[in-house]
Amino acid sequence: MPAPSELALASLQARMAAALLASDADGQALPEALFAGAHAGAAGLRVHRNTVLGALSNALRLSFVAVDRLVGEAFFDRMAVEYARAMPPRAPQLDEYGAGFAAFVTGFPGTEGLPYLGELAQFDWQFAELARDRPALETGGPMLLLDGGVRLQFLAPLRLHGARYPVDRLREAILAEDAVALGALELTPGDYRYALWRTPEGVRVRPLRLPSSRFLAAVYAGAGGAEALAAAAGEAGTVAAVAEILAQEILPAGFVRVGA
Amino acid sequence: MSRGASLNPIPAQAGIGLRLPHHAQVLAERPAAAWLEVHPENYMADRHSLRELELIRAHYPLSLHAVGLSLGSAHGVDPAHIGRVHQLAERLDPALVSDHLSWSVAGGQYLPDLLPLPYTDEALRVVCRNVEQVQEALGRQILVENPSTYLRFAASAIPEAEFLAAVARRTGCGVLFDVNNIYVSATNQRLDPAAELAAWCRVLDGPMVGEIHLAGHAVVQTAAGAELRIDDHGDHVCAAVWALYEQALAHLGPRPTLLEWDTRVPAFAVLQAEAALAQSRLDAVQERAYACAV
Repeated sequence: MPAPSELALASLQARMAAALLASDADGQALPEALFAGAHAGAAGLRVHRNTVLGALSNALRLSFVAVDRLVGEAFFDRMAVEYARAMPPRAPQLDEYGAGFAAFVTGFPGTEGLPYLGELAQFDWQFAELARDRPALETGGPMLLLDGGVRLQFLAPLRLHGARYPVDRLREAILAEDAVALGALELTPGDYRYALWRTPEGVRVRPLRLPSSRFLAAVYAGAGGAEALAAAAGEAGTVAAVAEILAQEILPAGFVRVGA
Repeated sequence: MSRGASLNPIPAQAGIGLRLPHHAQVLAERPAAAWLEVHPENYMADRHSLRELELIRAHYPLSLHAVGLSLGSAHGVDPAHIGRVHQLAERLDPALVSDHLSWSVAGGQYLPDLLPLPYTDEALRVVCRNVEQVQEALGRQILVENPSTYLRFAASAIPEAEFLAAVARRTGCGVLFDVNNIYVSATNQRLDPAAELAAWCRVLDGPMVGEIHLAGHAVVQTAAGAELRIDDHGDHVCAAVWALYEQALAHLGPRPTLLEWDTRVPAFAVLQAEAALAQSRLDAVQERAYACAV
């Protein structure tokens, strides 16, 4: 068996990586015989551990801004460090790190009073992903021809998002630090739907009722006008009633241009 | 191997590390800077910021300073990441591309830090193989930077300067000489920084060094109460590092010099003022060289 100082490079790097991500004292320790500097090896490892976990925590904080603001920096760091240890990144572009964080914080010990935390994190992630996108081009999305020759030109990309809590108002109140609005929010589970898109000024969000959401989902799946209207109407609705909802919610939203 | 054939080469002047908080100001005001350097990993997923950088790049010479190639990884460099760097280099036409003498990937996991290598014959073979792979894929020379170190391996048999010079000789890569890192590593190992820098200068010849880095660092106490310097790029360059920089310039001659500031990023004007301090030292070296020539 080789002496600790003669470990092959691959083995040394594997052991060091495991030690940097370990949470318990035994796992964090490497034999001091590996090191020969002026400081104990453990002191140097602590510097690297702080750098690694701090960088990952900060990367997550940049994507999950409302979650961070809601739970506070110290608690966010606890969640982020546990996530980093469980799911370290596989690539250096840390902007994309955190796709599993929303699921991870759902039910995280200590958040029992925040049943909407995971959904808020999902909503944060949608904003973060869209913020990294270039503004949608006006001609980049699907185009729809309706009866009477009316043409709807949609922007791309448009994201449809569903939640069981009103995460748009929740996020807005948290980021505005508006305690009154936050206190007034009815946070009982329901069916909330949103469209999100990128503009040169930033990410925009619009709450939708079910028909509008179904209509947009059909349009973005490639449906024609009649088919999309039928999807929006569902089993019980009428096309005329649906058309009115669409006119109220979709036409003024800013992600569609109407032409003839 | 050529350093690349950018239409906009990096001058032997003081440049500034461009960070995302300054994009809007640089786009709007085009503040004076001899050249700019960015971390390519910040632009691989962020298409919005990349578009901004393309617009900025039209007005400044640019260097790409990677942090994720993991040139010291025993299992090799991730071809996907080389591909991402290559794609950015194609779009941005940087005059320089660089990364560090360190590792950050093991077992497919990426650890966002510049982790130290034992300076052994095996590590030298690994680094040379990886540098050659990157240079071949990019079709250009890269620069490799000496990192700050907080621990030293008992297995290290080759002095760091000789190790990096050997990598440069064997692969044709250049050296990115970080003077702050020399200071941080030397003081953390209770060595004399000036003597350490002199040792580096005995090993590095001028043309080998394509760029110099300067930055600030933090001073912390270890659990045992000892002082440890951390290369956090979060402060002004300290007086001792300026003195080492002058020592390096006297040996190497004027070199493109970058001011890095990554944490607690200040106003762009602060970075400009810091770069001006480096520029005054570059000017002094150039004036002395001119005086000797005439």
